Amino acid sequence: MRAEATQISAFTTAAAHALCFAGLAVAHSLAGRGILVSDPALALRLLVVCEAPVVIAVFSYLRRDPRSCSFFKAAARGLIGLPVGAFLNAFGAIVLGAPVGIKYWTVTIYWSLLMSLFTFVPAACVFGTSKIDWQNVLSHSIYFTPTDIENYMISAPCHGAVLGAWLGAWPMPLDWERPWQEWPICVTYGAVAGHLVGMVVSWVLIAVHKRSGRAKAD
Amino acid sequence: MSPPASRRRRSRLLSWPLLFVAILVVHSLAVYLFTRGFLLTRTELDLHSSRDDRPPQGDVSTGCASWPPPAVDRLVIVVLDALRFDFVAPSTFFQEKHPWMDKLQVLQKLAANEKTSARIFKALADPPTTSLQRLKALTTGGLPTFIDVGNSFGAPAIVEDNIMHQLVKNGKRVVMMGDDTWIQLYPEHFNKSFPYPSFNVKDLDTVDNGVIEHLLPSLHKNDWDVLIAHFLGVDHAGHIFGVDSTPMIQKLEQYNQILEGVIDTLRSLSKPGGTHENTLLLVMGDHGQTLNGDHGGGTAEEVETSLFAWSPKTPPDAVLSVLDDSSCNVDLHGEEVCISTMQQLDFAATISALLGIPFPFGSIGHVNPELYALSTGTWDNQRMGTNACTSQNDLESWMRRYAEVLCVNCWQVKRYIDQYSATSVIGFPSEDLQHIMNLYSRAQANWSASLRTTCSSDTGSQEKSEGEGSVLPQQIDAYTDFLQTFAKLARSAWTEFDLWSMSMGLLLMILTVIIQSCTLVKLNTICQPSDQKRAGSSIIPKLSFAFALVVIRAASFLSNSYILAEGRVANFLLATSCITSVWHSMVKGKFRIENLVFLLLNIFARFGIEIGMSKQLPAPAITKDHSVSAFCKIFGVNSCNILLEIFPIISLAIVAYIILKWLSHAIHQRFLKYFVLCGTMVSYVSIAFHWASETTLFLHSGTVQEFGRSLAPRFVYAIGGLSLAVSALYRIFSPADHLKMNIRITILSAVMLCSWSPTILILLGRQGPFVALICMTGAWCIIKLQQKHQRESELCVADPVSVTQWSLLAVCLFYLTGHWCTFDGLRYGAAFIGFDHFHIIRQGLLLSIDTFGVSHILPILSLPFIGMVWYNTTSKDNKLNGVILNNITQVVNTATLAIKKKPIFWKRFDYTNSTNDNPLSGRAY
Repeated sequence: MRAEATQISAFTTAAAHALCFAGLAVAHSLAGRGILVSDPALALRLLVVCEAPVVIAVFSYLRRDPRSCSFFKAAARGLIGLPVGAFLNAFGAIVLGAPVGIKYWTVTIYWSLLMSLFTFVPAACVFGTSKIDWQNVLSHSIYFTPTDIENYMISAPCHGAVLGAWLGAWPMPLDWERPWQEWPICVTYGAVAGHLVGMVVSWVLIAVHKRSGRAKAD
Repeated sequence: MSPPASRRRRSRLLSWPLLFVAILVVHSLAVYLFTRGFLLTRTELDLHSSRDDRPPQGDVSTGCASWPPPAVDRLVIVVLDALRFDFVAPSTFFQEKHPWMDKLQVLQKLAANEKTSARIFKALADPPTTSLQRLKALTTGGLPTFIDVGNSFGAPAIVEDNIMHQLVKNGKRVVMMGDDTWIQLYPEHFNKSFPYPSFNVKDLDTVDNGVIEHLLPSLHKNDWDVLIAHFLGVDHAGHIFGVDSTPMIQKLEQYNQILEGVIDTLRSLSKPGGTHENTLLLVMGDHGQTLNGDHGGGTAEEVETSLFAWSPKTPPDAVLSVLDDSSCNVDLHGEEVCISTMQQLDFAATISALLGIPFPFGSIGHVNPELYALSTGTWDNQRMGTNACTSQNDLESWMRRYAEVLCVNCWQVKRYIDQYSATSVIGFPSEDLQHIMNLYSRAQANWSASLRTTCSSDTGSQEKSEGEGSVLPQQIDAYTDFLQTFAKLARSAWTEFDLWSMSMGLLLMILTVIIQSCTLVKLNTICQPSDQKRAGSSIIPKLSFAFALVVIRAASFLSNSYILAEGRVANFLLATSCITSVWHSMVKGKFRIENLVFLLLNIFARFGIEIGMSKQLPAPAITKDHSVSAFCKIFGVNSCNILLEIFPIISLAIVAYIILKWLSHAIHQRFLKYFVLCGTMVSYVSIAFHWASETTLFLHSGTVQEFGRSLAPRFVYAIGGLSLAVSALYRIFSPADHLKMNIRITILSAVMLCSWSPTILILLGRQGPFVALICMTGAWCIIKLQQKHQRESELCVADPVSVTQWSLLAVCLFYLTGHWCTFDGLRYGAAFIGFDHFHIIRQGLLLSIDTFGVSHILPILSLPFIGMVWYNTTSKDNKLNGVILNNITQVVNTATLAIKKKPIFWKRFDYTNSTNDNPLSGRAY
């Protein structure tokens, strides 16, 4: 266990998530209703542009070791992590069958940047290159065994976004012939929804963790 | 551990294989039950009616001793593809008026103004409502079902007896214009034909304009007896724009004009002595369509089409009393329009009766009285008929004539029933047959009696007409009853699923799958040494993950769109399992190169599947194997050709090298080893030779080419068969016990693989080596990854995730090699590698090897390796575990396969039922 000073509170986590959500909401209000369906590239670009500074700022502020690592260093980690995560996400999507072609390049890039903001960038900002922490984030064991609040804060929304995107791909082959069945619209919906669900799950986990921690202390 | 205890355990373990065999048996039973209920089969009889066929004299009276006399001289059939019933019927017949209604005004006006000579019918089609199937049904008078067992292997040409055949045999001249499906079905039946390609649905006008160009000029000519004009515009407009669209309405308006022209021409030429004095015009649809323009299924919208009949000459007014039982309504102009209903099944019989040709042998319809009565020909020249008793009344004489026609009709259907029951694979239920035979004999007895009454009673016209008036309708009813009862029976046998046996099969399957998974879990705990509880628990998440993948896949077969995208779904799931394993190893902190290779393999498979699937949409003749044709666009045509010739041979060499290397490693027996090595080497050289002889790069002398083309493939097949036989002999005669069980299994499956793979490779064609490379890389990745997992957790049973991955990879390979799950997805070309002539068993065998080779035969044979390789390193109780292992893997595989198998039948059903057009007819849907 780390020192109490570096342990962030549940309230901070909620605030951080609320800020991220606010970023998404602002992007949504700027874009307007239905723009994701009519012009996915524009909507995704707006989402990325609004969300990126928020996420990088918030999670750099919440970096794991504030003493040895300055805010700007953490932000730089996040900025580097953004394209790397985007590349990994795009690779995964293509393995799973995302369409490739000139028509889809731009949207795929924007979508993977957004996914990177949901999954890779927070962890990069908070943990840097610490291998153990990354393994902890990836692991599903956090849901069963108590761990740091940071792990909850980062893992659950990240897992949620990936699972949501995976599930969001399901309606794509159906023959309903709706415009939102195009790549990557429904996948984006799924990812955002999964991300939000993950945030809620992380709060629940933190609350449960706190209570059990308090019980142990008593 | 005390020896008795261990022996007890051993004997208990020995009984497990038996259990698995039992499960396998129950599985097969379940599949059998399901398919029995599901796969409707009908045997095609290739018997033909002939003009000289006549009922035995003793059986029936003189009245129906021969085929009915002709009633019309010439027939004009205008087929409007996908003609909905509400396109023709006045909008007052429907609750709501839609923009597409009342567009074919000319037909409605005729039906209103000339009630005695024009009539709109609601024609009910039997599903599947695709053009090809419908045309076949219309002309044969039968009910095409999902599997017509017959000789039409590959070519859609109809071998069953049909109207076209009868027309040609009886000297009628047929002219066809429009949809080229007709030419596929009847390649040599038309005197003159103007076919237009129908595959491009985006093209609304080519076919129609072609027909328009030839239709009116042909009407003026005298060189035909039957004219068929098949318009496709409405069908295509529906497919692209839907029913409620401007192009559809424009099309209908255009048809209205064309039909006006046709009717005016016919009317002007119908004066006595004119060329169309005794002509019948039929305007009909082959099936309906939904509002989205889809058809194929059995919904009311798709099944209800219409038929309009008009003869320029007016039959006597008595016709109205025949036509009375129909629904009438007032149309837009306040005139009364009446509409009758008929079955499309009856079309063939009615047309044959009208034209005076023998009924097609397999026709089971009955002559429709209303359509028959519309033709003037059935009303006049009655007194020259063959019947002994003359009648005065128009209606009576018509009814007599109709009864005679029905008599022949019944005799012909009865003949078909007898013949079918005698020769078919699956006949009709015997009690139903008995019932029908009773109806028949009653009707015939009635006929003889009625003839006697009507002929002997010449005491007074009053009495006689009373006798006729009641006896003839009774007789007609008796015949109609027989014919309709049989049609009902045939429909239930050929077009309705046996739900009971289907659900029994399904239930049995689900039960056995549950039992099996329980067994697997149990087995794992039993054969696990008791101190390793940890490992026992680690199988549960793996099993549930694998189970989830299989369940998702099985559930995806419930939706038609997922079935169409099956390859992509399988690939998606495979990729999911790959990514999970990457994630798993990342958590462990050990990323292995196999993971990356597997991911890359997935990408490759994915693009391959996409290319393979794009071939499903008919495109102008794709000659090259598709996985390489993509490269052609990148390189120029010339260098591309050279690459195309050389690449397969190089990769074939790599495949052969790997296989030889691996073989010499895997097999220990000296004799077997050398035999298999030589066999494999010779086979691969033959394959290379075969391909080299087909290239255009070098010049060959005739004999070399001949050898390469036909002898080399046969040589490969022969070696494959030989080594299969040798491996079986080895299995039986080899000294059993001096080798460990797992080694024996390795050797056997290695030999089996080597005997199958060259045959499959040569059948796959040039893409074969690539596919083999993908397959081997996949196997290598899966095995390596599994070894790693196995080392981490000492599992007793094979890793279920790996087995699932393997099965998913097999599905991917199936689509990668350009197959898909319809009958036209079969690669017919593969059946003729090495052979020029068709032989049903030989070519069928080759075709099934090609179809199932890469997706079933190879994966199942190599499955033991997935369970085996890790095993060489561990454990003491080798023999027992080897057997169990093998069984488990096989059973897991049968489970996945069986779950897969059900959907395959679903698939067939869904394909025939709901793809919009049968691709065999060359349409784009």
